[in-house]
Amino acid sequence: MPNTYGSRTLTEWLTLVLGVVIILVGLFFVIAGADLAMLGGSVYYVICGIPLVAGGVFMLMGRTLGAFLYLGALAYTWVWSLWEVGFSPVDLLPRDFGPTLLGILVALTIPVLRRMETRRTLRGTV
Amino acid sequence: MRRSHLLATVACATLACAPLAANAQFAPAGSGGSPTSSVPGPGNGSGNSFEPTENTPAAKSRFSGPSPYAPQAPGVNAANLPDIGSMDPNDVPQMAPQQSASPASGDWAAYGHDDSQMRYSPLSEITPQNADQLKVAFVYHTGSYPRPGQTNKWAAETTPIKVGDGLYMCSAQNDIMKLDPATGKEIWRHNINEKYEAIPYTAACKGVTYFTSSQVPEGQPCHNRILEGTLDMRLIAVDAATGNLCEGFGNGGQVNLMQGLGESVPGFVSMTTPPPVVNGVVVVNHEVLDGQRRWAPSGVIRGYDAESGKFLWAWDVNRPNDHSQPTGNNHYSRGTPNSWAAMTGDNALGLVYVPTGNSASDYYSALRSPEENKVSSAVVALDVKTGSPRWVFQTVHKDVWDYDIGSQATLMDMPGQDGQPVPALIMPTKRGQTFVLDRRDGKPILPVEERPAPSPGVIPGDPRSPTQPWSTGMPALRVPDLKETDMWGMSPIDQLFCRIKFRRANYTGEFTPPSVDKPWIEYPGYNGGSDWGSVSYDPQSGILIANWNITPMYDQLVTRKKADELGLMPIDDPNYKPGGGGAEGNGAMDGTPYGIVVTPFWDQYTGMMCNRPPYGMITAIDMEHGQKVLWQHPLGTARANGPWGLPTGLPWEIGTPNNGGSVVTAGGVVFIAAATDNQIRAIDEHTGKVVWSAVLPGGGQANPMTYEANGHQYVAIMAGGHHFMMTPVSDQLVVYALPDHKG
Repeated sequence: MPNTYGSRTLTEWLTLVLGVVIILVGLFFVIAGADLAMLGGSVYYVICGIPLVAGGVFMLMGRTLGAFLYLGALAYTWVWSLWEVGFSPVDLLPRDFGPTLLGILVALTIPVLRRMETRRTLRGTV
Repeated sequence: MRRSHLLATVACATLACAPLAANAQFAPAGSGGSPTSSVPGPGNGSGNSFEPTENTPAAKSRFSGPSPYAPQAPGVNAANLPDIGSMDPNDVPQMAPQQSASPASGDWAAYGHDDSQMRYSPLSEITPQNADQLKVAFVYHTGSYPRPGQTNKWAAETTPIKVGDGLYMCSAQNDIMKLDPATGKEIWRHNINEKYEAIPYTAACKGVTYFTSSQVPEGQPCHNRILEGTLDMRLIAVDAATGNLCEGFGNGGQVNLMQGLGESVPGFVSMTTPPPVVNGVVVVNHEVLDGQRRWAPSGVIRGYDAESGKFLWAWDVNRPNDHSQPTGNNHYSRGTPNSWAAMTGDNALGLVYVPTGNSASDYYSALRSPEENKVSSAVVALDVKTGSPRWVFQTVHKDVWDYDIGSQATLMDMPGQDGQPVPALIMPTKRGQTFVLDRRDGKPILPVEERPAPSPGVIPGDPRSPTQPWSTGMPALRVPDLKETDMWGMSPIDQLFCRIKFRRANYTGEFTPPSVDKPWIEYPGYNGGSDWGSVSYDPQSGILIANWNITPMYDQLVTRKKADELGLMPIDDPNYKPGGGGAEGNGAMDGTPYGIVVTPFWDQYTGMMCNRPPYGMITAIDMEHGQKVLWQHPLGTARANGPWGLPTGLPWEIGTPNNGGSVVTAGGVVFIAAATDNQIRAIDEHTGKVVWSAVLPGGGQANPMTYEANGHQYVAIMAGGHHFMMTPVSDQLVVYALPDHKG
């Protein structure tokens, strides 16, 4: 049963932890990615970092939008990596393996985020 | 480009010129005037007058070695041997027929099987069909491994030889033994009591040499001898039958090879390869520890009478017309290119092929003499009668990348234009360029092109060569120049880290000039391409087998001030503390304006290389039909490798760094260990398919060999490990055979 007043379930806590992880990854992408872009390297990281940070923040706010921002960044990552290295499994490994694993976890949080959103809406209307 | 060039100039002006001025005492004698802000460039010098004289004031940097005229430290003459006398090379007696000239079909009579060093055995009991049944026949323990309190500097790298009833080998610390080839039982062992302090970068003994005397009659002691060069610079001859020292050789069976080398300390200079005997002349080379000081002991090559051990000649690069031993307080000219790879003898032409390395202080070339610049990182064919070069073929001009040649030259015949075979020599290099030369005159048989290289570079007064040689007739044992998209990792996080590392460094390909303002990427690095494992060649099928590395380095020159802060000091500095380890070549380069920092191009937090796999490859090249690649694939699985040094256990053939060569047999099987997955493999010579593999008790960083005993074929590999390759060290020689032939 969803609890009503403040105290969170384990899945909600895990969702928040995931949000923090995504914010940290996103910040690294933005900061180090800006460095890389200024050195003349790929601009992918700094671009991708922005939706990651935003997605993490929205997840912390209990908003489903956060998960979708992450999944959008993941889709962008796949498109970019296929453009950069083609269908080469060895080269797709660092680019997509970790982000996709994280993406599966993020997808699993969508029901949790929905529940949090619903609860907030309910609380808002009571 | 313009911006970075400007930055480089500014950085050089601010960082480099002060130490340059401080070292101006090495300006050529007679140049006069006050210290200048630049060092003499190539061709500006007057040969050996670069080297400090006895009256040169001591260097002013915080750390520095003693004057080259200082006496040798205690223990450098390890066995306190008296000086050896000289004799006229014309008095060398006619050489008896040697086992290595035409070994019995079941023998392995020299480091690379025979005088050709092809690493080819005519044995054929083991085939691609039955290789998967190979089992351990016996294991022999050499007894040499790091004891408690000793830094792990071990990598035995040993290849036994087999002649008649004996398997002869050395331990990593040069003890010599004869084993029963069928059982591994020790027949004799000669301990030479080498000290731990004598170990230079690595405790290695690649092998011993079998020599048959023409002066001692058959049946008498020392008719057949085992010759060995040691880490502590002795040339030792023992009786092949008993292991006793040959009293008639040198001083009671030993020659002190530190004679004439001048100031040194234990571990600075050492021998790790079996010395070849050519027309009765035993030729010795030695490694000089990289990166220590410009005026390190000489890289001189010397010939001795294989019968008496008497000195015959020296090839001292900066004394080209003086082949005698130095007398009194004199020494062979210092800092000259050393040669640490195994040399190859050629009795028919009376030549020894010397693969040379670099002048001392590998990464700074402004203080090298024109004579040194002609012969560094080259194949030098020395006449064994005189010690003079007959020809020189250079593989890198003015090398500042440690692309010294680690491989042994392999002799074979190439089809000539008129159908007559041409005596040829295959010289693999760390660059992955394999040169095929006519061994009569050193002229390329397959085309070699001089191609433009980045020049003049960024270090003032030390311009790079405008061109470098490329062997365009042979498939390159390398991958294309690195790109940012080649950066790898477990995740985008470490990949991003490596991309930044890539972009922060100078990189304009294989000959990126060294820089002090920021790091530069060196690919191929000092680990190869092809390193000391060399190549194997099957003269029946015309197939050449080469294994090679894709292990870039991340290097940076540092100012003298920074080098002092980092505590970089030469090994003969009084403050030097032995132990070191780490990457080879990190060093003070005392006597030059710079020190050098050498690291693998890796993510230092995960210990994973920054570039994408594979990191090691094996290639078969058809030498008879247009030098085409027959097959090529990654060598080594991820089973013993992974992030943070953790073994992943994955059977994925990722291609690991590899050290050590291959053997090819008439049975159509290639044997190779080398990879850091600690396995030995049998590979089908014609298809490249791995038909058998077994896990070794230590890293297989050695050249395997194969021989026959009691009518059956055996395959031996020293699983000695390698400290820098981070594979487990063991003292075990593991010998395999098909079932029912266990010892």
